Amino acid sequence: MRILIDILMVAGFVFALAGTKGIIQMPDPFCRMQASTCITTLGALGVLLAGALYAFFVMGSVNTGVKILVIGLLILTINPVGAHAIAKGAYRSGIRPDKEMEIDDYGRDFHD
Amino acid sequence: MPKKKLPAVITTFCLCFVFWVLLTWSFTAQELIAGAVVSLAVALFTYDFFIHEDALWLLKPQKLGALFAYIGIFLTELVKANVDVAKRCFGGCKDINPGIVKVPVNLKGDYAQAMLADSITLTPGTITMDIAEQEGQTYYYIHWIDVAETDREKAGERIKGRLEKGIRRIWQ
Repeated sequence: MRILIDILMVAGFVFALAGTKGIIQMPDPFCRMQASTCITTLGALGVLLAGALYAFFVMGSVNTGVKILVIGLLILTINPVGAHAIAKGAYRSGIRPDKEMEIDDYGRDFHD
Repeated sequence: MPKKKLPAVITTFCLCFVFWVLLTWSFTAQELIAGAVVSLAVALFTYDFFIHEDALWLLKPQKLGALFAYIGIFLTELVKANVDVAKRCFGGCKDINPGIVKVPVNLKGDYAQAMLADSITLTPGTITMDIAEQEGQTYYYIHWIDVAETDREKAGERIKGRLEKGIRRIWQ
């Protein structure tokens, strides 16, 4: 069980590292948001799942484990709403990608 | 209280009460009664905003099964997309080809559409930016980090084909 917990923890760290590198290096805001979803999904969920398993099986505290799982559930439900609003608001307020996009239906349908 | 509002209130009450129990995690009678009273008050005020469609759908066994099947589908897609984006990030962030695609969606109902949009946003590499309705057909505007397909139908199939099938099984 400890090995499973360690694997989940390390996987979470690796994905969070990848997301952080993406946030720093990606060329424009939208691509940065794409990289940040890497952190919030497998990064955070891996660490939270590892924490929950640790609480259930090593600490023997169901109370703590359940609370960690509730945090994971809330991240899964609330995070996309914010990401969606930020992306739409960024595009509507005039932020455009650095280089020309392959296909841009949103810019075609909504002229500013 | 009108007849069809009762299920909505009960569902909201159950959800509030489950969250209360999960967060407090104490089963003394005093705590449970306090939680029930607060949950009932919240449910009476907010059921109108919370439940728009059939409130008791989760109690049908095949829908519950479809929900669990969807969680499995979603997790596999999530891991695949995560590995893909992580590879791009570690590869120096040069291997990207972003674009915004307008994708037709064949789902009925607010819950189903919101669930699909949230699932797409949670999958790394795709973010739903807006939902539009034109002539009875629903379209999503999806920012895609690696546009592999410029044809809108085929792009939609690649982004959300499996997710959409799973969600249709839950809600219809």
